Amino acid sequence: MDGSVKVTGTPALELRSVRRVYGFGSAATTALDDVHLTVPSGRFVSLIGPSGCGKSTLLRLVAGLEQPDGGEVSVHGVTPAQACAAKLIGLVPQSPALLPWLSVLRNVTLPQKINRGAAGRRERIADFAERRTAPDMKELLVKAGLGDALDKLPAQLSGGMRQRAAIVRAFGLQPDVLVMDEPFSALDEFTRESLQDQLLDLWEELRTTVLFVTHSVSEAVRLSDTVVVMAPNPGRIVESIDVDLPRPRGERLFGERRFHEYEDLVRERLRRAWHSEAA
Amino acid sequence: MLAILGGLWQWGARQLPYLLPPLSGVGSSLSGNFGYYVHNALVTLGEATAGLGMGFVGAFVLAVLTSELPLVRRAVMPVAVVLNVTPLVAVAPALVVAFGFGPMPKLIITGLICFFPILINTATGLRSVPQQVLQVYRTMDASRVELLWHVRVPNALPYLFAALRIVFPLSIIGAVVAEMSASGSTGGLGTAISVASSMNQLPVVYASILVLAVMGVLLLLAVTVVERRVLHWHDSVN
Ligand SMILES: Nc1ncnc2c1ncn2[C@@H]1O[C@H](COP(=O)(O)OP(=O)(O)OP(=O)(O)O)[C@@H](O)[C@H]1O
Ligand SMILES: [Mg+2]
Repeated sequence: MDGSVKVTGTPALELRSVRRVYGFGSAATTALDDVHLTVPSGRFVSLIGPSGCGKSTLLRLVAGLEQPDGGEVSVHGVTPAQACAAKLIGLVPQSPALLPWLSVLRNVTLPQKINRGAAGRRERIADFAERRTAPDMKELLVKAGLGDALDKLPAQLSGGMRQRAAIVRAFGLQPDVLVMDEPFSALDEFTRESLQDQLLDLWEELRTTVLFVTHSVSEAVRLSDTVVVMAPNPGRIVESIDVDLPRPRGERLFGERRFHEYEDLVRERLRRAWHSEAA
Repeated sequence: MLAILGGLWQWGARQLPYLLPPLSGVGSSLSGNFGYYVHNALVTLGEATAGLGMGFVGAFVLAVLTSELPLVRRAVMPVAVVLNVTPLVAVAPALVVAFGFGPMPKLIITGLICFFPILINTATGLRSVPQQVLQVYRTMDASRVELLWHVRVPNALPYLFAALRIVFPLSIIGAVVAEMSASGSTGGLGTAISVASSMNQLPVVYASILVLAVMGVLLLLAVTVVERRVLHWHDSVN
């Protein structure tokens, strides 16, 4: 591949008839079956669906933590492993997964010390010929409301603050794809909404592609350009719903009819997905 | 508490003069031959810490290897377990035969005694990094060395310190036992004890034991102080 040619139109994410099976024989679980998904660069996509429908599995495949048993996964036209090697992917897991012995600031700056060869590898991938400078992590932390917590240890923070630090750590990588697995599920409603605000603020600024797993319909509708509804047994995608609401999506949105119409639509599709399993 | 123990001791010493010397005798032996005890204490301490250092380095390196390479784990762990259940104290005389009365057998015994707790705890600590933390750093394609240095080793420190708390007192036991097995040794509190007891000098025996106990307490104190500094972030010190 010629690194100097800027190939436009390569999707940020592409899954083609992806299959993932755990276990063997009669004990086998088909976590994902014949999954097709294309995500253009810069879009915010949520995955929603009943427990066990393979949302986390899909994320792990995209993040290169597991290999599919069939089909293909590509990130900006390369394999997930190559994407990881170029630090194109940022992961926010369900727990903050901070290192308890490092201060908040050191936790979020550690990724810059890891895999220093990534910048060179990234430039060789077609879409990213331009060079990037590392972001000012202090500034990002302040923006996320953690200005007073720079030198605190994770144990000294609230759950919401820890999760914010984990998000800043992922954004600090300036990833081209951000994958998040129910990052707010352990938080109370109020904290959750303020973190959604902050996530959207950061995202408006950096405009990475986001793949976001959630169980909350309103969260999915509020955050996403596209909501992907999944169904279990076997895990599969049943519907993609484009959310055509203006951004920025502040609190006002919650009072709008269109917002609730989207919520109802997603809920209805989820119910159908649920029943298709029972059938 | 100390006063009660002292009183009991004095009473016992009057009842059983062949078993317990009067405290005054122990005290005068200590103050009269202070240099002698300090010298022997330093010899024993030197053997104990050098042996522990050797055991530490060996165990730490092996812990890293076993946690990184499953093949090494399967090869080494059974041997380590056998080593652990072998009464190493019983090996001491054989080592003296093999290596003579110098410091070598003492270092080996002490090192072997310290080896197992450090190996097991460190290996556990290296491998007990939460799955989601590993996933975060794997998506950055962190190398094994980066993962070790930035994540696994710090994660293993609380486990390592738990082992050190066990192993520091053990190192003194190892050194003393090795000294006692090598009856011709030239120094150390273990030698002092065996020589004195063969000559029925009970005050010297107990003075040496007292010095050993104090040494053990001081070592444990040192570990605790270092632990508090290094593990200030960990629940165990708060
Ligand atoms: N490591 C594994 N070994 C065996 N089975 C697994 C493994 N991981 C996932 N599965 C199975 O694959 C299916 C999909 O799991 P997955 O965790 O992707 O679901 P999910 O949609 O994320 O569910 P939840 O909403 O509860 O997080 C489940 O049936 C699960 O039991
Ligand atoms: Mg999940």
